[in-house]
Amino acid sequence: MNTDIRSLQLLERDLEGVAARERDRLSSADRALDGGSGGPRRLPRRGRGGGHAWGGIAAALVAVLVLAGGIGLLAQGGSSDDSGGESRAAIDADSGADAGSAGGGAGGSGSGPQATVAPAPAEAPAGDASYLSDEAFGTLSESERAALGYSEEAARDAAPPGSPLQGVGALPEQQGDLTKIIRDGRIGIVIADGSFSKGVAGVTQIARRNGGFVLESSSRDERSGALTLRVPAKRFDDTMLALRALSGQLDGEVEFQDITGQDVTAEFIDLQARLDILKDRRELLLDIQADATSTSEILRLAALIDDVQLQIENIQGRLNFLKDQVAEATIKVEVRERDVQREDPGSDPENPSLADSFELAVQGVLRIIGAVVVGLGYLIPLGVIALIGWGVVRLVRRRDRGAN
Amino acid sequence: MIGRTDTHDPTRGTDTRGEAVPEERTDTELLIASRTEPEAFTELYRRHAEDLLRYFARRTLDPETAAELTAETFAEAFASRATYRDQGVNGVAWLYGIARHRLGRFFRNGKVDAAARRKLGMPERDLPPEDYERIEDLIDFAPIREALAEALESLSPDQREAMRLRVIDGLGYAEVAERLKCTEQNARQRVSRGLRKIALLLQERGMQLTTEVEA
Repeated sequence: MNTDIRSLQLLERDLEGVAARERDRLSSADRALDGGSGGPRRLPRRGRGGGHAWGGIAAALVAVLVLAGGIGLLAQGGSSDDSGGESRAAIDADSGADAGSAGGGAGGSGSGPQATVAPAPAEAPAGDASYLSDEAFGTLSESERAALGYSEEAARDAAPPGSPLQGVGALPEQQGDLTKIIRDGRIGIVIADGSFSKGVAGVTQIARRNGGFVLESSSRDERSGALTLRVPAKRFDDTMLALRALSGQLDGEVEFQDITGQDVTAEFIDLQARLDILKDRRELLLDIQADATSTSEILRLAALIDDVQLQIENIQGRLNFLKDQVAEATIKVEVRERDVQREDPGSDPENPSLADSFELAVQGVLRIIGAVVVGLGYLIPLGVIALIGWGVVRLVRRRDRGAN
Repeated sequence: MIGRTDTHDPTRGTDTRGEAVPEERTDTELLIASRTEPEAFTELYRRHAEDLLRYFARRTLDPETAAELTAETFAEAFASRATYRDQGVNGVAWLYGIARHRLGRFFRNGKVDAAARRKLGMPERDLPPEDYERIEDLIDFAPIREALAEALESLSPDQREAMRLRVIDGLGYAEVAERLKCTEQNARQRVSRGLRKIALLLQERGMQLTTEVEA
């Protein structure tokens, strides 16, 4: 080096050492990458450049997505319970939880078509329509109350001793909850070997004793089978308790149990209101038709009346179906002897089948993607603001430097 | 020091006998080549090290700081040479861009960062005694002698006396040490610290230490 400054000479030596090390590093990287193929070498970048930079970008992207997912899940957390549709109260079979208490509690005034699990109060006002809240009940007209199947006689009959409903002059506001809830239950019973016939007979007796019946039944090798029971809604909890007790009597245990409730109050009221309107319209059309003079007018009105009549029948059919579903609960009972494997483990929420698992996995992935999208909705505006702020700070600093 | 710019290239081609001579690469070419040939960077260093040291010395007035800034600038340039893009900016201008950035940081923080040297595993060396005078020779004190006299008042008595003897009276370090009854090394350090303090002070006052325009 053409200088007599010692520190520069030393610095040159230091840089030569660094260059030599870098040369070795490049050579070894070349050997590792292309085995000396002779192709153009790429400089493994340090610091801000090269693969490290891409790695950093990828890591930052993953971090942003994870953050977005977290924010999205948090944001969705509050609403997920409300939008879940059918709610389910699964009871751990081994916990010995009381079926009545597990499915119990006030039905409240759920506004969705399917809401909180149905109450199962043995002491609750029974009758066809006995679950609407006092406040909601007070807002109903007489016709709406009738449409809900409410009658003072039924309410009084079903009311527990000491209830105000037992009194002759009980007021509608005191007559309890009229929420329309369809209740379903599933219970699996494992019983001792050789007692399958007793088990089926016991289940049938329980259904009959509670005013219900066996809708369907099937068995396999007389060692396992399934029965579908229909019992009055007010006897649902007693039936479930009796089924649990049956497993004990047959030296068995409850394998699984879950209870679901679907709140159809809003749909019911809506259908009833539409039915009333359609009936009024039908009467009006009939009156007009009676006064009609021309054939064409009579035919046009007849078509309209037919159309209204069809709608009335559709709604009436749906109302009848709902009434039936509300009036009678469905309980699916699986009975099997201890040595028999479950035929359809996929229906067990604790042990889902491969197909169910796949479905759950797909739902999980979609849920995460949804959460990420929601989270990005929060993050992107914040990111834009941060970017603008960063740009302004950079600009100001640059100006300051220029001024200096 | 021999430097090759990107605009003038008299050595390319053939010699007077018509024989091919090795082409001397421009600064930009050296920088680009250093990505895959790290040794090319040392050639760039040889061309510009003393100029860069002078650049720092005239702005910091302190040989120690100037040497440190020179080392740190070249280390940073080496570490980030892959980011250089030939977009019409002379390679040496890119180097001085790093130098300006380093100098600005020194004036803001009052110290020289050694991050780039540490990153490359380069040692942080003390300035050899013989370099103090040699680097001071690179500094042209004449334009700022008057301002220096005023700034001397802000120094401690020891530093002020050392500065007065060395910078204003122009004595050698041996004589300064004799007058101050200290070792030569001690005298150098007093002058060095005093110069650094004055440079920072003048910078704070917005005083231009040199009118030199870098490459």
